[in-house]
Amino acid sequence: MALDMIGLIHNELLKIIGRWRSYIGFIGIAILMPLILWGFSYGGGEIHDEYASELGNNFLIVGSIFNAFLATYIVMNAFWIHMPFLVALAAGDAVAAEGASGTFRIILTRSTSRIKILFAKLFATWIYTALLILFLAFMSLGIGSLWLGSGDLIVFDKGILILDQSEAWVRMALSFGLAIFVMCVVATLCFMFSAMVDNAIGPIVGAIFLIVIGYIIMAIPIELFEKMEPYIFVTYFDVWQQAFKDPIPWDHIIKSLSILVIYTVGFIGISIAVFLKRDIKS
Amino acid sequence: MILETKNLSKSFGPSKAVDNLSLEIPEGSVFGFLGPNGSGKSTTIRMMTDLIRPDEGEVFIQGQSVQKKHQKALGKVGAFIERADFYKHLSAKTNLEMLARMDGKGYSQIPIVLERVGLSSRANDKVKHYSQGMRQRLGIAQALLAKPKLLILDEPTNGLDPQGMKEVRDLIKELNNEGITIFISSHLLNEVQKMCTHVAIIFEGKLITSGSMNTLLTESEIFTTEISVEPIEKAKSILYPLDWIIKCDERNGVLMVNTSQDKISDIIFILVQNGCAVNSVISKTSLEDLYLSKTGTNGA
Repeated sequence: MALDMIGLIHNELLKIIGRWRSYIGFIGIAILMPLILWGFSYGGGEIHDEYASELGNNFLIVGSIFNAFLATYIVMNAFWIHMPFLVALAAGDAVAAEGASGTFRIILTRSTSRIKILFAKLFATWIYTALLILFLAFMSLGIGSLWLGSGDLIVFDKGILILDQSEAWVRMALSFGLAIFVMCVVATLCFMFSAMVDNAIGPIVGAIFLIVIGYIIMAIPIELFEKMEPYIFVTYFDVWQQAFKDPIPWDHIIKSLSILVIYTVGFIGISIAVFLKRDIKS
Repeated sequence: MILETKNLSKSFGPSKAVDNLSLEIPEGSVFGFLGPNGSGKSTTIRMMTDLIRPDEGEVFIQGQSVQKKHQKALGKVGAFIERADFYKHLSAKTNLEMLARMDGKGYSQIPIVLERVGLSSRANDKVKHYSQGMRQRLGIAQALLAKPKLLILDEPTNGLDPQGMKEVRDLIKELNNEGITIFISSHLLNEVQKMCTHVAIIFEGKLITSGSMNTLLTESEIFTTEISVEPIEKAKSILYPLDWIIKCDERNGVLMVNTSQDKISDIIFILVQNGCAVNSVISKTSLEDLYLSKTGTNGA
């Protein structure tokens, strides 16, 4: 059973690797991160001096303030709205591409059940999503460490929080772990739409549309929307930021993750219900 | 019966694609499935392979319900539906490896099936570089991967040149000789007549006729053989009393005889034995005649 699934996931990963769209996110990050790091390196001097002079009177800062951790933190804040687009590009193809290309006719007529095929596709999509976020971590933290060096992480959140270098690594790991989880929810949402249609564009647009609607509801300060906020999954997308609070608000993190899990289970349930009943006419 | 459909029905919106269709496909047969465009052939085949869920009825393969026990029912089935679509960015070999991985078996079959369809030398080429004919052959190869007992082929000769068609026809006969039951849908009635032992014709989603090719052609009284023989009156008087001759008339100086196909050699033997000179024997009936008489259309 487990071996079956590993084989099926292997197949799905081969398909993802073969689609040019899967590389857009990686290429984007590979181009943008060096540019951003270059910008920090050559244009961040003034900010660095300002921070150093203000903080240096009261704190002993180890290493450079403008280091890989701070760059990563800033990049994650800036990138966060855009990451769902990159994830959706691959997740939208997961099921719909088979319908569009007609390959359902060779895979669904075999003795493997539809539900196994669906879960293999979902797991492969999650693996892709995790790799994309880990690539972002590698480019920002890994390349950033070489370029900007490391040091303590200074975070402004209801005051100044300074995390020493060893703690910063732990917080970054936690943050990227949470980020992977959140992006897997986005991937699952897109996957759900992908299970419904034979066209990869629809799922991408559908998922992004829902996320944008969520952000709009969060951004408009009217009573009705404020009441809706706790029930909207987008509200919990910034859970990765909790990794940089002191102390780490585990109760908030667990609550956010629980709600996201409920949404994920719902998305998967709908995907199963639709895909198992779906007539393959393409 | 290796494959049975029981009261199969399927509608798409207001139109009924398949209407209460019951078929029985005997083990070891080459079963031709005919009908005009839009008659419900593809929908039926897709219900047989669990791509489309019937509104009513069920499909049984070796006694297992395709709808209720997908894995068991399709375990010994190879299917090639309509077009050979593969992962074009991957090689033929990698495509087959992926499918073998799904089946949980069949790795050892990959070189064998590639050899069988004549693609061994191009196994490592990406499918996007294949011609339509090569893709069709790869489609047949993937259907053979799991050593099927039943092969369901939907228009397998589409896109093939005459030589390719002949190769597929020969391959089907070869596979059938090895004990594989073949269920085949094709537009090419002549091809079907050459290959099939049994045939079913559907029209507007309903079964029009079904049975062994010989019986259908004979019993429909349209299996006619034109015999040019002298003296014609003597020949007529010899053949007329034979109980396996359905009809024997003189028309334009030749005898038009309705009988089963396997009796033609007996007729010639009897006529020659009785001193008649047989000048020519021409089969005048084809599956096309039967098909047209049943459906009133011009093509499958």
